[in-house]
Amino acid sequence: MNKPLFQVIFEDNTTFLGGDYECTKWSEIPLKKIRTLFYLLPTGDYIGLGGYQRFYHMIEVTKDLNGDKAGIKNLEFDYIIGQKKDCTIIYQIDLKTGCINISTIKNDDKFLTKLNPEFWR
Amino acid sequence: MATTMQLGINYVDGDVSYTVTPADFIIMDLTNDYLIWSKTLDDLMTHEPTPAELNAAAEIIDPSVAVTVTKCLLMDYSHNVGGSYYTHLVKGMGENKRYPFAFIFDAATATEPQLEAWDTSAHSTTNKHVLGAGTPANSMAKAVCTTTSLPGAGWAGAAIAGASNVLLLNDGNGAIALASNLYANLKIVIPANYSTPAAETFVWTVRYTYS
Repeated sequence: MNKPLFQVIFEDNTTFLGGDYECTKWSEIPLKKIRTLFYLLPTGDYIGLGGYQRFYHMIEVTKDLNGDKAGIKNLEFDYIIGQKKDCTIIYQIDLKTGCINISTIKNDDKFLTKLNPEFWR
Repeated sequence: MATTMQLGINYVDGDVSYTVTPADFIIMDLTNDYLIWSKTLDDLMTHEPTPAELNAAAEIIDPSVAVTVTKCLLMDYSHNVGGSYYTHLVKGMGENKRYPFAFIFDAATATEPQLEAWDTSAHSTTNKHVLGAGTPANSMAKAVCTTTSLPGAGWAGAAIAGASNVLLLNDGNGAIALASNLYANLKIVIPANYSTPAAETFVWTVRYTYS
């Protein structure tokens, strides 16, 4: 059985299990305060994130319109974005190499205004 | 479920959207269909064009003015639209038309989808002449987002090549909140007196996100 993509532990000590890359179940996470998010890495380990006000999640894919891999959906990156009171931390997980790139932006960064607000949890 | 994207090719009227008249579009079978950029290749061919036919129909470099490749045709492998035709002219390509190319998303995205161009499916280089020979700003592949408005007469478009020279498909308005059809117009512009004639293929890529 495949490992769930993530596990959420809420402040009320209830939990929620994620799905897989094709059906993540992220948008099914109940709208209540998350205490800790465990997210699956390509290595099979989980990264644990806590102390954030809210999280955003997305999977980045490419699809070639022509060429030898045309029409194939390629998984490129996973992103977990954790927002604190004074800044936002972006965890970019390379799904091909397993490397994690961590960056920090301000909460009024233009990038955040272009995200889909429905996916904040 | 993960958001999926299809590419629709308008073969009837570049002023009519997929939203209004889906039947004006052929949904590309991305595994077997492909686009042909040509000067004189015929619309509605009843066989797949041969390399010799493609060469004979190639655009000619002009010594004094930049040349926009005259035609873009869909090579429809299934040849089952409107008769047994393998080629269909993309209507409105390069013109002041909004709807030649439709990017059809079946659900919301988490960021704004974008169109890219690369040498190969490795998505790592842009060294081909058509993509600017290593200088993305010189790419001959031009694109303009037409999701919200006409591109304008004589539109120049953005040079598309690599990770930085991309086209945002929602006019810079960010992620799409629900299933949406986004639009762009594309063209290939060969600089005047370009020194290296070539028959090149390159890869158009759509990058998008879902949650």
